[in-house]
Amino acid sequence: MAHPSQLGFQDAASPVMEELLHFHDHALMIVFLISTLVLYIIVAMVSTKLTNKYILDSQEIEIVWTVLPAVILVLIALPSLRILYLMDEINDPHLTIKAMGHQWYWSYEYTDYEDLGFDSYMIPTKDLTPGQFRLLEADFRMVVPMESPIRVLVSAEDVLHSWAVPSLGVKMDGVPGRLNQTAFIASRPGVFYGQCSEICGANHSFMPIVVEAVPLEHFEFWSSVLLEMATMEEVTLMMDEDMC
Amino acid sequence: MKEESDKRKGMKFLGILDIQNTPCARESILNGAGGSVVAGLVHFLATSRVKRSFDVGVAGFMLSTLGSWLYCRYDNAKLRVQQKVIQDGIKNKVIYEGTTLDPTRKTRGDA
Repeated sequence: MAHPSQLGFQDAASPVMEELLHFHDHALMIVFLISTLVLYIIVAMVSTKLTNKYILDSQEIEIVWTVLPAVILVLIALPSLRILYLMDEINDPHLTIKAMGHQWYWSYEYTDYEDLGFDSYMIPTKDLTPGQFRLLEADFRMVVPMESPIRVLVSAEDVLHSWAVPSLGVKMDGVPGRLNQTAFIASRPGVFYGQCSEICGANHSFMPIVVEAVPLEHFEFWSSVLLEMATMEEVTLMMDEDMC
Repeated sequence: MKEESDKRKGMKFLGILDIQNTPCARESILNGAGGSVVAGLVHFLATSRVKRSFDVGVAGFMLSTLGSWLYCRYDNAKLRVQQKVIQDGIKNKVIYEGTTLDPTRKTRGDA
């Protein structure tokens, strides 16, 4: 998760995010070199005593400052395009999860095998236990098996939302009436936090996303427990109706 | 915890580039500094022009840093791809060993 006064990216938790980090370092180094050069030129211009109002026809420097930027742009564009197409690959996902945005919570549906769905509300600040993160914790986390390709279908029930988890390198808009697809692989176990990334009303800042990547056995155990809880709730509701 | 956070803080060049924690950054900056000194010195010894030698030194820094960076990052990227292939191979071997999908299994002619 992010820490206070953080400037850079969070640690990568998926291969795509690792590639994004590497590309960012590459682009930043080039930006750093250009900034150094410009800084040096500014200092040189300001401190020189030479003045010449009639400099004309300097072919060499014209060629240099035309060709060099073109070369630099190519050096940035090639890895950029590579990672752009890499991000669009969806390699046979093992699991599909529907993430639906509501005002102001997320709901997740795991309908591949059984009908499993739950809502995920932010834990209010006054209800946090020591060690939990303010405005980031949710009562039910989206649990996924690690090292498995996961497809997430993002949509919304009311207004625009956006499902984003920075450490997984994922952001996808939830548009009412539309299914947007994204995918990720969690390369390590852990808890990864994100926040809604499209303005959606008064509590837009208070509908976080929490993804928990666990080993497959733990995921199977978690899903079976949740299914049992859902079945028991249904039975309780039916019994209450009968009694009424 | 405090020691870990101090170690990870690193040095930020021009306030933006974290040299310690970015792979290849430290080597590139050091190579660039070396290239800059060499280029500037050689130009000065040849021409005795101080200001122009500084300019050549800066240009040398740019080119040496960029060249060293690109070379190191390319090697790094190749290494990462190889690591990924090896990891996938180990995982697949564990999963498929002894089955019909095992690529190392010798096929029998009468099968």
